[in-house]
Amino acid sequence: MLDELSAIQSDALSAIDSVDSETALEEFRICFLGKKGRLTAAAAGMRNVSKEDKPAVGQKLNEVRKTITGLVEKCTVELAALKDAEAVAGIDPTLPARPLTQGAGHPLSQMLNRAVDTLHQLGFAIAEGPEIETEWHCFDALNTPQDHPARNEKDTFYFDSGKLLRTHTSTVQVRTMEGVAGPPVRIIAPGSAFRRDEIDATHSISFTQLEGLYVDRDVTVADLKGTLEYFFHSIFGKDTELRFRPHFFPFTEPSFEIDVKLHAAGKTSRWIEIAGCGMVDPAVFESINSQRKDDLFSPDRVSGFAFGLGIDRLAMIMHGIPDLRLFSDNDVRFLRQFA
Amino acid sequence: MKFSLNWLNDHLDLDDLSVSELDDLLTFAGIEVEGIEVRGAAIDKLVVAQVISSDKHPDADKLSVCQIDAGGDDPVQIVCGAKNYKVGDKIPLAQPGCELPGGFKIAPCKMRGVESHGMMCSASELGLAAESDGLLILDTDAAPGTPFSEIVTADTVFDVEITPNRPDLLSHLGLARELAALTGRELKGLTAHHREAGNGSSPAPTDTIEIQSPDKCSFYSGHFIRSVKIGPSPDWLKEKLEAVGLRPINNVVDVTNYVLHETGQPLHAFDLAKLKGGIQVRLANDGETLTALDGESYELNSTDLVIADSENAQAIAGVMGGDDSGVTETSTDILLEAAHFTASGVRQTARRFNLSTDSSYRFERGVDPLQTLGASALAVKLITALTGGQADEQTLIAGEVPEAPAPVTFSHDACRKLLGHAIADEEIDKILTSLGLERDDTSWKIPTWRLDLIRQVDLIEEVTRVFGLDNIPSRTLGTYSPASKEDKIFAANRSLRDQLVHLGFCEALTIKLISETQLADDLGKVSKSGLVPIRIKNPISDDYVYLRPSLVPSLLSVAKRNVNMGNSALRLFELGTVFSASPKGQEIEQANLALLITGDREPGSWKCPQPEATNFFDLRGILEALCPGQKVQINPITPQAGSCLALAAEIRLGKSKVGICGQLAPARARELGLEAPVLLAEFKASALTTVRESSRRYADLPRFPASSRDIAMEAPSDLPNGDIETVFAKIDEHLLESFSLFDVFTDPSGEKLAADKKSLAYSVTYRHQDRTLEQAEVDQAHEKILAILSKQLPVIFR
Repeated sequence: MLDELSAIQSDALSAIDSVDSETALEEFRICFLGKKGRLTAAAAGMRNVSKEDKPAVGQKLNEVRKTITGLVEKCTVELAALKDAEAVAGIDPTLPARPLTQGAGHPLSQMLNRAVDTLHQLGFAIAEGPEIETEWHCFDALNTPQDHPARNEKDTFYFDSGKLLRTHTSTVQVRTMEGVAGPPVRIIAPGSAFRRDEIDATHSISFTQLEGLYVDRDVTVADLKGTLEYFFHSIFGKDTELRFRPHFFPFTEPSFEIDVKLHAAGKTSRWIEIAGCGMVDPAVFESINSQRKDDLFSPDRVSGFAFGLGIDRLAMIMHGIPDLRLFSDNDVRFLRQFA
Repeated sequence: MKFSLNWLNDHLDLDDLSVSELDDLLTFAGIEVEGIEVRGAAIDKLVVAQVISSDKHPDADKLSVCQIDAGGDDPVQIVCGAKNYKVGDKIPLAQPGCELPGGFKIAPCKMRGVESHGMMCSASELGLAAESDGLLILDTDAAPGTPFSEIVTADTVFDVEITPNRPDLLSHLGLARELAALTGRELKGLTAHHREAGNGSSPAPTDTIEIQSPDKCSFYSGHFIRSVKIGPSPDWLKEKLEAVGLRPINNVVDVTNYVLHETGQPLHAFDLAKLKGGIQVRLANDGETLTALDGESYELNSTDLVIADSENAQAIAGVMGGDDSGVTETSTDILLEAAHFTASGVRQTARRFNLSTDSSYRFERGVDPLQTLGASALAVKLITALTGGQADEQTLIAGEVPEAPAPVTFSHDACRKLLGHAIADEEIDKILTSLGLERDDTSWKIPTWRLDLIRQVDLIEEVTRVFGLDNIPSRTLGTYSPASKEDKIFAANRSLRDQLVHLGFCEALTIKLISETQLADDLGKVSKSGLVPIRIKNPISDDYVYLRPSLVPSLLSVAKRNVNMGNSALRLFELGTVFSASPKGQEIEQANLALLITGDREPGSWKCPQPEATNFFDLRGILEALCPGQKVQINPITPQAGSCLALAAEIRLGKSKVGICGQLAPARARELGLEAPVLLAEFKASALTTVRESSRRYADLPRFPASSRDIAMEAPSDLPNGDIETVFAKIDEHLLESFSLFDVFTDPSGEKLAADKKSLAYSVTYRHQDRTLEQAEVDQAHEKILAILSKQLPVIFR
């Protein structure tokens, strides 16, 4: 009996070497430990063992069972490790990607979002107005002389109804002040404006503008300066130099153009015109009052500042885009550069 | 407008300022410097020379060997690389010993074995231009050997933009006056003639000068100068005119141009011999024509003011003189006109003829009304001096000298309040006084040239401008603003854009005007609407005639352009305004969202070498992703004849129709060069964002397992799946949780299934919220559903 057990053990020890799969291991287990396995059969022979030999044979039987069980467990672990290694074996991680379809927001939308976010931080709320406008909202109310060139059919798109495509988003200033309960007004108006220009690298018939207006008691030139400095420092970095250059617009007085000093790589830095702004002209307030039929926006009670910036221009400067037409061509290779 | 620094120096000492300091000074005065041109160069050993011959260099393809006349006895040999000259041209020659700007010294040398004794120069080499292409070819009568500094006096010319509110800056005197005020320098070189009539004036007899339209010309003066000898102007005068870009003509015309650029007052000289009878300032007769100095014939009408003799119009008032009566070499007696024409009259005529002359430009913007006689006197003095003519004692005048501007009431406190800075009374007074204003308590007398100073705010602007924004500390104050309705729309649209970008879409932003042909791609036309597109009255080209009624026309153009460029797999969207008008003409503006997908579903790669083409069901997947938690219904409709869609469906959310989707008609796709199927959808953006922004409520997650049963049914092949889903959706069985189609099988050959049938396989899920289902009750529910389906639909179960 003892000899038989020793033979089983040594057979198991040699058989385990050739086990190279889970199936073979299962066969091995059944062969030795299964219901009809050799060890099970040997255990059944215990009843024929003499009483005095029983302790020694029983001990041997346990020892052999432990050894074979150990072999099965060890082999199970080894086979799992082998399988785990195979799961990623042969994968060359330097092979190219299976690419996803890359989406991208339009650079003008992204620039506009940035501008709006910055002005939201300053407490401005968005306002809107129609793109098909009346001459009143586009010109008259904004103190534009009757024979101002901008009113020309050469420069502005008109409709048979006498209405026009707004030439600037400043129309929203007028609409907002006409419509609100009263001051304060603190709005920004992003949107399209149209000019009857031939399309080339620096001209288009439509562009994206952002208008700003703040009207309240005691709004001053100092507020105008502080707001626009904050804005442009947020957009271009806080060390960017700015200058406010006196200028002329019919709807603001005093009026300024704002230049930023930009450093393009390999070139001498230069001033680039980026926005127009100024204190709301009293004549604009008078127009508003005449429409409202009250004096809540009387220049004696309130003052305000307004500004307008070209989002196209801002995006061109920000990304070094040389040609306006790239924005309306919408080549996806261009759009994905700003993904 | 061009300003010569030498000319400005006549009135103001600016020698100590560098060009960039002057640039800054002008910029902060509100005068935008658009260009700076350097004229002439005072460089030793730089002479005018003439090319005698030019031959190819024996050993260098790109060089020539020239013989040059530099004024000496023998020609000089120069090796040169430029190509833009020809034999006989005069060019600047830097001789040995010459030092060019930048420190380059010229010495005799050998170039590829050939001796060269100097250098022929380009404008940039002489510091006259930032860049230049080839040699500077000189247009000069000067003999070879003449020092270069003698042919063009060194000068700096500023090309500046004067804003329309500052016509007083449209002259050298005007700009000098402004710079004097800004720098605290003294204005000099002003003669009595700049402001006053020489020997006074007397009213003209009406047969000499008569104003018939005082509303368009309030004041007219004429001065007779006889026995003039017409000839070329002296160099000083020519130089000044050339510096500001004018071509010298003769000593009379040049003086009128000089005085215009000196004082801002336009003048005109008539040849007296050509005038018949006295001057009449009158409206033109309808149909009257005049050949002007530019040689063009202008047909006038009764809104145009003309200067006429007793027979014909001789000048378009304030715009341009007539060709007939202009001063020529044969003129002997002349009449010098200095007048005040109203801005609106001149503007209207100049615009109609699309003419902008130095004269009309100034009258349109406004001319100092009180300097008319002074400018006339200055011109008379110069003309008599230069031509030897005899001027009449007095200027003859008609009309009234316009009134000086009214004084303006000004409050220092109001100024400080608008600036937000405590600028002292004295500082404010100093600024206004320097600009020529005179204080009388709270009232300020305005100088006659400042036509723009009418209101208090105009004076505040002056203070701000001169004080400088740099000196005003910034402030950021202000109340908060509650979020507006538009803020919420902006945020909702942004979230929609972001999600589309995450779904792999590129955002297009197209021009909102489209061509008439593109109207055919209007997706709204697919269903009836009664709305009409809006046409531009004055389109700039056929490509941009209508305001887009739909985003699809432009998106198709974008797709076409991209496919042409090789970008064939596209996911594009645009979110923006579309326009239409109601039958009554009421304009409607609405924000729409349009989607376009075409081409491979995923980018091809070694892992997926032949991706499947995108199809209608990809579009459905996207629509569902855009409306999370919503049942997106697709109701097929029949596209109208001529529609750009071959397959069309309404998109409905709940009870409302929110948009249209479909597949582009193959014929239209072919026209556009789009080979793969093109799927389109267009929505009203607010319908989508409203659904997306609606608040969500939590629902308990299922705690007990579900049971599912499959149904395989055979149905007529033209039975829409939507009909089956409608029946499913109406089944009242509380255990029924969901159903989904997982297979569609057809066999056109008819072998496995009749060709007019299709086999559909659904998986139906049952679940009870509070317990695990028992098989029997699932079976019971399933039987009920099968019964309903077979009762209501022409289907059999397999």
